[in-house]
Amino acid sequence: MSRAVRMVLPVVFGILLLAAWEILVHVYAVPEYVLPGPSAVAGALWSDGPELLGALAVTLEVTIAALVLAALTGAAIAFLLAQSPTAERTFFPYAVFLQVTPIVTIAPFVIIWVNNIFIVLLILAWVAAVFPIISNTLLGLKSVDTNLRDLFLLYGASRWQVMTRLLAPSTLPYFLGGLRISGGLALIGTVVAEMVAGTSGTSSGLASRLLEASYRLELARALACFALLSATGFVLYLLLDALSRYLLRHWHESARTAES
Amino acid sequence: MSAVTVTGVGKTFANGTTALVPVTLEIGSGRFVSIVGPSGCGKSTLLRLIAGLTQPTTGTITRPGPLSTGFVFQDATLMPWATVTDNVALPLRLAGMSEGEINQPITEALERVGLSGFALAYPRELSGGMKMRVSIARAIVTGPCLLLMDEPFAALDEFTRFKLNDDLLALWQQNGWTIVFVTHSVREAVFLSERVLVMSPHPGRIIADLPTQLPSSRDAGVRLSHAFADQCADISNRLNEALQQRAAS
Ligand SMILES: Nc1ncnc2c1ncn2[C@@H]1O[C@H](COP(=O)(O)OP(=O)(O)OP(=O)(O)O)[C@@H](O)[C@H]1O
Ligand SMILES: [Mg+2]
Repeated sequence: MSRAVRMVLPVVFGILLLAAWEILVHVYAVPEYVLPGPSAVAGALWSDGPELLGALAVTLEVTIAALVLAALTGAAIAFLLAQSPTAERTFFPYAVFLQVTPIVTIAPFVIIWVNNIFIVLLILAWVAAVFPIISNTLLGLKSVDTNLRDLFLLYGASRWQVMTRLLAPSTLPYFLGGLRISGGLALIGTVVAEMVAGTSGTSSGLASRLLEASYRLELARALACFALLSATGFVLYLLLDALSRYLLRHWHESARTAES
Repeated sequence: MSAVTVTGVGKTFANGTTALVPVTLEIGSGRFVSIVGPSGCGKSTLLRLIAGLTQPTTGTITRPGPLSTGFVFQDATLMPWATVTDNVALPLRLAGMSEGEINQPITEALERVGLSGFALAYPRELSGGMKMRVSIARAIVTGPCLLLMDEPFAALDEFTRFKLNDDLLALWQQNGWTIVFVTHSVREAVFLSERVLVMSPHPGRIIADLPTQLPSSRDAGVRLSHAFADQCADISNRLNEALQQRAAS
């Protein structure tokens, strides 16, 4: 199958799906507060667009801050855990604990303990996003080629040299794999946190707008929010995937293209 | 003068495996010595002890300083994220040399192994034999006096192995390094070295220490000579005897 056909297929499928949706909504005369057609959603997207994009920026700010924080702290935590098997055995269960706890259940406590809503959202999104980075980076740190380690030992490399010249590059593919997963999780975390924290007003994020619109049965607007959030998640994934490919382009199998 | 002195060196690992019963051995400066023996007999362990990569349980080892020792592993062990140049530069950079100082030795090392045209290639763009050449360039870039090689050509096809054998021999003759070369191929050992150490099956010890008697300026023709075949047969017999004794006991 040619590249063009492969790219076009999902788009054609999407258009067919939207067309079927539009037709069914009209044929059965479904009221707009139950299910608006795609054209109504597009209308809402057009009329409320500027406002919703502003709200998206608020959500994105939290998402990106949480992702960056998760990347930094996750890598640092993994590095500390890798220092000794005892450290890993002692602390890793708590990382797992963090991962399996639904953030909805921690949210009420964080909201009570922290005043600043931005920080509340940040903490919750961080909790959602950090685990894949910790576990992937840890796996990477433990998979470093033992012969290369010996080589560094042979030439009397310092701890710093081992870290920057051996551990960091050989762990990078694993870290980036974690980051790609965490991008989506950070967005999900932010959205869930916004909904639970019940932010409102002009400085609220897109998830809060979605919730408000659904309460008011403005389903076209709610679906417009939904479409924007989904598209954002998708773009975030594409960006992180591109970053990963770019950084690993010379050497890692995962970044191999068909021609090279 | 000896480059390496191993006195009563034994190795028992933390899990209780005795890899090496005490070995005493002296390797003269500028000599090419091969170690042959069945798999698992402790050849790699002995080489790693000489390199200082593991500590002996008993005995002492004297060896040249860290930058005077080059080590070549069985697989090329290159950093996949670094170019050929950066891989070869590693020992120099780790020693804290400036970027200005390292260019000359890198160019020279790459020239010696015949890879001048591939300075900017990444390991995945190279064939197995070329990767091994990079690995050798990295080992010799510091201008070592001792080269430790652990089955460096075992993963290569015969043509490539013969070519690399010839090149290694030529390099050794030009540079006067001391080379300790581990191999499971008796033919390779006899072709390359002046002296062959034969190790017993696990736990390892040295059961024979044989000089080879081939013309010192060897070329590919040596591989076809009777003297070469006789020496190979002699060493193979000793290895088989050792294996049979072990099976009988
Ligand atoms: N780190 C280790 N811990 C425990 N035992 C080890 C370790 N390294 C090697 N051994 C054991 O020591 C013995 C000798 O191993 P070594 O790798 O030196 O053999 P070798 O002669 O190099 O074998 P091969 O030809 O297959 O490479 C083996 O029985 C092996 O299982
Ligand atoms: Mg070995």
